[in-house]
Amino acid sequence: MSLDLLIYAVGAAASLMSVVAVYLALVERDLVKAVIYSAIQSVFYSLLFYLFMSPDIVLVYLPVAGGVLPALLLVLISKTERFERE
Amino acid sequence: MVGFLAEYMFTVIYLSLFVNLGLTLFGLFYKPHYIKKLIMLSILGDTLNMFTIFLGYRAWPTPTTPSRPPILLTYPFENTSVLVEFTSRAVDPLPQALVLTAVVIGLAVMVFLIFLGDNLFKHYGTLDMREIRRLRG
Repeated sequence: MSLDLLIYAVGAAASLMSVVAVYLALVERDLVKAVIYSAIQSVFYSLLFYLFMSPDIVLVYLPVAGGVLPALLLVLISKTERFERE
Repeated sequence: MVGFLAEYMFTVIYLSLFVNLGLTLFGLFYKPHYIKKLIMLSILGDTLNMFTIFLGYRAWPTPTTPSRPPILLTYPFENTSVLVEFTSRAVDPLPQALVLTAVVIGLAVMVFLIFLGDNLFKHYGTLDMREIRRLRG
């Protein structure tokens, strides 16, 4: 039973940190920083996936949402514009 | 006491996912920049995938049979009690298969939208949606 409690405690901490990362990605004007915040959010989500007994999804989700997608968004930002105007 | 703590922390997880859903919908509708909309769209899809995973999860707070990684040490059909224990402890694999497909399809859709953003910038010279709406008419 204490193992379940540990799983829920780590999951609650990871989900609260993901809320913080999503909020920072929402309000950030520099788009490079916003992409990095969304990558941090995807790391916390993959921790949640692992805790809720789907490690096969972690193997796909962590390279896709933490590596490939931010890289492609950074390529798009480098080809277009970096700062979001008011 | 332990059951109350587990229920409280599970509620924290669930409510923070709903907060994420609201924040991403706000960013998707009210942020003017195209790349910010793309980031928020990807986080929205991930949150919905997380809800789908919660559908198949077995060990909700105060579970009768807590879930365990489904590892079979013996061939189950020779001994029925092993099979009974396996089916009472394993999580549902169907939402996991669906989410595994949805992650890959989401990557393909995002690559298409990134390509579309590049063409938008070549055509209009900006990615601000207010500017694009003004320039179009």
